[in-house]
Amino acid sequence: MDQTAPRSPQRRQFLRTAAGTTAGMASWLALGKAPAFAQKRELTFLSWNHFVPAADDELRKQAEAFAKANNCAVRVDTMAHLQMPAKIAAEAQSQSGHDMYRSAGADPFLYENLHANVDDVVDKLGKQYGGWYPFCAQMCQTASGWKAVPWFWVSFPATYNMAHFKKAGFGDSYPKTWAELLSMGKVLKKQGNPVGIPISHCSDAHSTYWSVAWSYGAKVIEADGKTPAINSDKTAQVIEWYKELFKDAMEPEVLSWDDAGNNRFILSGKGSWIHNPVSPYNAALKEKMPIADDINHHNSPAGPAGAHSAPPALSMAIWKFSKNPELAKEFMQYLFRKENYDAWIVASNAFNHPPLRHLADHPIWAKNPKFAMLPKEAEFAHPRGWPAKPSDAIQRIDDNYVLADMLAKSINGMPTKRAMEWAQDQVSRALKGQLKVS
Amino acid sequence: MAVGPQVLEAAGSGGAGRLARLREWWEQEEVFGYGLILPALALLVALVAFPFGMAIYFSLSDYWVGSPGGFVGLANYREILGNEIFRQTVQNSFVFTAIALTLKTVLGVWLAMLLARPARFKRLIRGAVLLPFVIPTALSTLGWLWMFDSLYSVVNWTGIRLGVITPPGPNWLGQATYAMIAVIVVNVWRGLPFFAITTLAGLVAVPREYYEAAEVDGAGSWSRFWLVTLPLIKPVLAVVILFSTIFTFGDFNIVYVLTRGGPMNTTHLFATLAYQVGLSGGNLGQGAAIALFIFPLLGAVVFFQLRYIRKE
Repeated sequence: MDQTAPRSPQRRQFLRTAAGTTAGMASWLALGKAPAFAQKRELTFLSWNHFVPAADDELRKQAEAFAKANNCAVRVDTMAHLQMPAKIAAEAQSQSGHDMYRSAGADPFLYENLHANVDDVVDKLGKQYGGWYPFCAQMCQTASGWKAVPWFWVSFPATYNMAHFKKAGFGDSYPKTWAELLSMGKVLKKQGNPVGIPISHCSDAHSTYWSVAWSYGAKVIEADGKTPAINSDKTAQVIEWYKELFKDAMEPEVLSWDDAGNNRFILSGKGSWIHNPVSPYNAALKEKMPIADDINHHNSPAGPAGAHSAPPALSMAIWKFSKNPELAKEFMQYLFRKENYDAWIVASNAFNHPPLRHLADHPIWAKNPKFAMLPKEAEFAHPRGWPAKPSDAIQRIDDNYVLADMLAKSINGMPTKRAMEWAQDQVSRALKGQLKVS
Repeated sequence: MAVGPQVLEAAGSGGAGRLARLREWWEQEEVFGYGLILPALALLVALVAFPFGMAIYFSLSDYWVGSPGGFVGLANYREILGNEIFRQTVQNSFVFTAIALTLKTVLGVWLAMLLARPARFKRLIRGAVLLPFVIPTALSTLGWLWMFDSLYSVVNWTGIRLGVITPPGPNWLGQATYAMIAVIVVNVWRGLPFFAITTLAGLVAVPREYYEAAEVDGAGSWSRFWLVTLPLIKPVLAVVILFSTIFTFGDFNIVYVLTRGGPMNTTHLFATLAYQVGLSGGNLGQGAAIALFIFPLLGAVVFFQLRYIRKE
């Protein structure tokens, strides 16, 4: 938003004050203490509630240490990941709120005009640690520069129950391709241990769809970022695979799952295989559930076009309206100090993967055979929308659950061709209504 | 306006005259009346009229979160009308509102009549009935989310044990029809107390003599209900239905928590779709246009109902 535009300053002022007051009061209530005005410099950081809470504890600890060393205050606020888009939108709209926040998906593109450039930080860290993984870089690098610093990514491997696979006569093997998952899943379902991939309004449903679709050579948008490409024979193949998997290897519950649905499914002991970050295993360890011994991971399966993964990748962005952009940049670099980043990986129990090659050498993965294959996921990871560049249009396709709904429609009896046409229409609408970045 | 004697003294004689004039002016009926309305009016303008005006402005512009765009006329409306998801949402909203409202009306009147009967612990029961209405919706809906969970559904578990449901039972939030039933059930559960308690207020105001007279004339309980109770509580009922239509049409929490509009957008309502498009997707212009679609629809409902109430 142009700050100097003379147009209706009262309205803007009012919005800003109103939103600022509301946000201020909300955080004040959340903190349970009166706001202290006229304090020393304060840096505020809005992040999510980490799926492994110990990681947030470590983050706060490091924030405190940074504050002490720099004679400032650092406040880390966290909130549920599903509520973040609305909160960030409110901060963007009111031009007030935190100095920096945990950006995700296409946020750097959605808010390209509102994020401060962080090219210097990215450059320095990249040189220091052997370079950024391309898929993390692509999600933060816009036409007008780096609009966020890649923070960490979350591997999205397969989680399976070894005991169920043994019982079904598969010994120590696991599905290396999606086709194998289907054939093994049929046996496993008969045994009472179906596999599970959500086909519902949740983000895991997308992560898996992208992965399967790329493995079959299917696209959603052409590389030019402008042409819808979902209506294709390749996509039809993907849909047929999903339909068969749904019928013969899964149960209808996958149509109603939220992001925690597959976690519950595998931890209940019923499910035999899911596609998800390692959080169920970590939860089982933490709660000392006996099932932890049976759970193992393997790399995301491959298809005729190879193995591909769409891991969630998160970054840190600084708002242009921040009063402390330099302090925020220093804080980011502080978090990336080797000892700090390592401690944070340990706290998250291998959930957080570094976007920088040299930081990925951490022993936590090599040490635990159940984690050893996780870093490999980075080798075949892409940002959603690939081969097109990330954009707000791709974000909108995800936000509107177009991919999951296309699958659900065909599973519920809509002919594959029509389901694809429906999706193609939604994709072209998302592309047409694209945000114009001036 | 209470003015202490010290103040009057300190103000001196000239000041006292001015003060008296001011007081006289203030105590004129029209001035005083408007003065009293002013705070409420200011609140209404700030919290209702202003956002409403903004919404109209957004809906006519290419406005994205954080980046204002130019005027685009009715382009946003054309775009959403052409979108199947929106048309599905319109259909969902009507189905949802019609069924939920009918159930709430019938069950609400029934519950009110039960509550009107003398009973032990009457106050306690009346208080308890209000509970679903009092608990924050987002919170109580989380409870329902667990009850409809695909793996741990207590509804299915009970049904199967009682032999009413064949295992594994319906997938409540994953199948279009069941998901709609689920959101309607929760909406009715939540909205029923409001209906019942308000109707109860109308019921207790019906003079006993009417019933006695009807009984003397040999009217049975059905005729007493149709010919005495219903006509007399009709005005109250009309107002309750009016309010409830507005609340039900604009529901957000229940759908957002239970299904996020799924499966396949079959439970999306205007508010949830507007949120998805306008806030998650950042397209404020289209989000506002979706939300504003409720306005003419509800406007018509309110117009006809108010006219009906006035006629009555």
